[in-house]
Amino acid sequence: MSLAHETLASLRRRLSTKEIHSRDIVKDLLTEIGAREKTVHAFTHIDEKAAFAAAEKADPSLPLGGIPIALKDNLNALGDPCTCSSKILEGYRAPYDASAVARLRQAGALFLGRTNMDEFAMGSSTENSALGITRNPWDSTRIPGGSSGGSAAAVAGRLAIAALGSDTGGSIRQPAALCGCVGLKPTYGRISRYGLVAFASSLDQIGPLTRTVEDSAILLSALAGHDPRDNTTDLRKPETFLAKPTGSVKGLRVGLPKEYFLPGMNAETEAAIRSASQWFEKNGATLVEVSLPHTPAAIAVYYILATAEASANLARFDGVRYGRRAVDPKDLLDLYQRTRSEGFGPEVKRRIILGTFVLSQGYADAYYRKAQKVRGLLRQDFESAFTKCDLLLTPTSPEPAFPLGERTQDPLKMYLADVFTISTNLAGNGAISLPCGFTKSNLPIGLQLIGPRFGEEKMLQAAHAYEQAHDFWKRMPPL
Amino acid sequence: MSAPKLNVADVAGLARLSLTPEETSKFTAQLSQILAHMETLGQIPTGDVPEVVPPAQPVLRKDVPCPSLPLDVVLSNAPAQNNDLILVPKIVE
Amino acid sequence: MSSSGNWEAVIGLEVHVQLRTRTKMFCGCVNQYGGAMNSQVCPVCLGLPGSLPVPNEEAIRRTIVTGLMLGCRIAPVARFDRKNYFYPDMPKNYQISQFDDPLCAGGTVGLDPFLFPKDLQDADEAKARRSIRLTRIHLEEDVAKSFHYEERSGIDFNRAGTPLMEIVSEADLRTPGEAFAFLGSLRQVLLAGDVSDADMEKGQMRCDVNVSVRPTGQQEFGTKVELKNLNSISGVRRALVYEIARQIAAVDKGEAIQHETRRWDDEAGATFTMRTKEKAHDYRYFPEPDLLPVRTDQGLRSAAEKSLPELPATLQDRLMKENGVTAYQASVLAADRALCGYYEKAAAGTKHKAAVANWILNDFLATQPDPATTPIKPEYFGELATLVAEGGINSAQGKKVFAELMANPSSPKALVEKLGLAQISDVGALGVFCDEAIAANPRSVEDYRAGKSNAINALKGFVMKKSQGKANPAQVDEILKAKLSA
Repeated sequence: MSLAHETLASLRRRLSTKEIHSRDIVKDLLTEIGAREKTVHAFTHIDEKAAFAAAEKADPSLPLGGIPIALKDNLNALGDPCTCSSKILEGYRAPYDASAVARLRQAGALFLGRTNMDEFAMGSSTENSALGITRNPWDSTRIPGGSSGGSAAAVAGRLAIAALGSDTGGSIRQPAALCGCVGLKPTYGRISRYGLVAFASSLDQIGPLTRTVEDSAILLSALAGHDPRDNTTDLRKPETFLAKPTGSVKGLRVGLPKEYFLPGMNAETEAAIRSASQWFEKNGATLVEVSLPHTPAAIAVYYILATAEASANLARFDGVRYGRRAVDPKDLLDLYQRTRSEGFGPEVKRRIILGTFVLSQGYADAYYRKAQKVRGLLRQDFESAFTKCDLLLTPTSPEPAFPLGERTQDPLKMYLADVFTISTNLAGNGAISLPCGFTKSNLPIGLQLIGPRFGEEKMLQAAHAYEQAHDFWKRMPPL
Repeated sequence: MSAPKLNVADVAGLARLSLTPEETSKFTAQLSQILAHMETLGQIPTGDVPEVVPPAQPVLRKDVPCPSLPLDVVLSNAPAQNNDLILVPKIVE
Repeated sequence: MSSSGNWEAVIGLEVHVQLRTRTKMFCGCVNQYGGAMNSQVCPVCLGLPGSLPVPNEEAIRRTIVTGLMLGCRIAPVARFDRKNYFYPDMPKNYQISQFDDPLCAGGTVGLDPFLFPKDLQDADEAKARRSIRLTRIHLEEDVAKSFHYEERSGIDFNRAGTPLMEIVSEADLRTPGEAFAFLGSLRQVLLAGDVSDADMEKGQMRCDVNVSVRPTGQQEFGTKVELKNLNSISGVRRALVYEIARQIAAVDKGEAIQHETRRWDDEAGATFTMRTKEKAHDYRYFPEPDLLPVRTDQGLRSAAEKSLPELPATLQDRLMKENGVTAYQASVLAADRALCGYYEKAAAGTKHKAAVANWILNDFLATQPDPATTPIKPEYFGELATLVAEGGINSAQGKKVFAELMANPSSPKALVEKLGLAQISDVGALGVFCDEAIAANPRSVEDYRAGKSNAINALKGFVMKKSQGKANPAQVDEILKAKLSA
């Protein structure tokens, strides 16, 4: 069997016994890539030579020694491109490692492939990439989700063992759900953002996309921890997650937020989630109905705050110090305007304009400041819900993967699809998506578990227990 | 919250973006729709809620120098440079 | 003159001070002037994608020190904000600054009379010792430096991200002289607190001025004009003198003052329109999401309090009261802490502390010493003052000892011996000299006895010459008078 089909945990064991070598994994992945990457287009950049060179130096005694990992193309890795799937970062070579990348390196991992994304992580379908679209490995006429669509498609499509993505409003979890793999967004402040190209600073988090919950826990353990280079990282002592899987959900109080189960939901999604919640109940958990009353306001709050922060974070892309610069600018203003107008795609421009507007004089109070206050209410919603339950259980996406091109002309409709994931970023909680079923047409359906802030251990335990009691994680897309 | 006067061209100017007439009208339509969706926020009572303030742990940096980037690295990504300076069109006060 | 009777000027200053920390405000690059271009930059201060700021604790501490010294309220929780605008010297095209919750609020700067321009030190405005209110003090990062050529500009990012303290005054100043004194007095506090060298001509302190005029006694402010390109404290004064006159001339004629920014041209001696403020910048301030709020009440404030030096005003008062130095001398010493420390060591060993001040400030200072490294121990001056005051030598001899002290540093007592300068106080010996003087100057003796009391000076001079300057003048005076009236 191709090593590309194995889990990280399994490969780790086999590497440590010297049964296999890191280069064998790289070789098998490249074979899969050779076979299907042309269709899937999960990657923006693959450096075979560097991967093999790193594999030769692999040290399997390290926690991730010899394991190849794919990186979303918004994570700086020394010497490599970091395009964020945008034209404006054409030619840019990262002069430093993101802290997350450095930690993986320190743990012995090597990097194979930089994955495609929505430009600057703005999007839910990876159709906003300036470097081409990515196709869902389960159905190449459909989206893989976004913005970490490339990472999800690579992991699900067996083109990568595991990948890092970033999640600002669902960008790890939603593509994981649509591609049938596991996607974890940690609590805000768990993993350092230093070196992650910022979209929305108070919402972004790096997280793993993997085949199993156990793999996810392995990567979380390697990545989590305070970083002096990121002032927003938490000071908690490092821990090893899922060190002792219990396999049990007995006594767990599982909350079902009523605002996430509205009439008119996609029928197959609803059925899969109900079935999952019934499994929890049958196995000793109690189901509790809870309410997150400010949920209907979440999209508005998110698109005000995220775009406001993004409008400032993307101001640095001006052609002065790095990236693509407009040819023959006639003056400074021309340099700025042409560089940015030529370099950014429409979704990025749209969000920058919206973000600039909601911060502008005369409107900042009604929009930005108001949204900040409602965000506080959303946070309170979650805190109060977690006094009644240990975990929340929801669908990850309102529906399975829709066809490519279906929503590209309707940004509002695209935004509304983020409804189940967005609140967790606003509240700062951690959440995980894992497969819980398939549609009649063999499209994956994802289950989301949301934990209290810094409650990843409980969340991973429950997710692992559910996962191992089912076969969804073993199913592979047509290869 | 009254219907906002979103002048896309003006706001784009603030963000140093220059839009084509098609982009301007398309964005105006799309963003107006999006802003209309946001009108609901105005009705949510938020009198007592403090703004989201992260926990105030003073994690500061000690005043100890760290290595800087080598000059060639700094200049390697620069689109235009000369004599170790990064060049732009003339800045007029 | 700042007002033509009918009009008064209203002036506010915005001062940016470079903090003398080892590293930049939000990253660990060195904060040092004069490094090779673009050699002191990193992903953070270059604004590379993915970089994040982390605040410099020392910069915050120094800002709190400044705030405490100026009597400000220190915020228990301070926040950073993003100030958004595009400019090539701004790597992120936003500046991390403070808007809603600055580190310090309020405070005052007392105008030290000796820090007024020399020609105004006797004026009422100097003697008034006014206190100028501050609005706030906050921390921000500085921008890069640009060099301008014919068609391009070149940018050196070494300065980008260095810590800058912004001190904003209320519009309490009324004259160019006061503005001059404000800057000097503020600088004195900054030097005392070891916060910055604050030398305007080196760009370590930058000043923008807001000035308007209004009819004397009116409450509402007139239209204000912002002045830029002020490169020295005296330049600030000159610019204000010009601009106030310009504004008064205009309003006298009934013209309206344009709300604008004007550039001071020191060579031309005039201000020129820089840009009309058609639209004020919309900076779209919002809280910096990459930085946690800074709590000052968990150790930062107490660390600053522990390191507080004596305030210049307090130091000056103490020196005048306890050491008997003049107000002018106190102001000179307060302005130079190293020299002041040297002086206090010198004065410690003697009760003639005022005399020590004279030696150090009148004589020693002229040799441009470095108090930290000079081979001339401060104790020597204490000794010297005691010798002269308590009769060992006279002041003329003292000067000789001083000269020798500069050339061959050694204990003044030893030098007195070496130079053979021990003063002659022996009555008998002096009596002999006096007799000789009387014998040699019959004319003077006659004049003196005739009532011309000044005639005694010639006799004294004779005695001093004969005694090679060693005679004790007071005793000579006594003895001569006794003999002459006999």
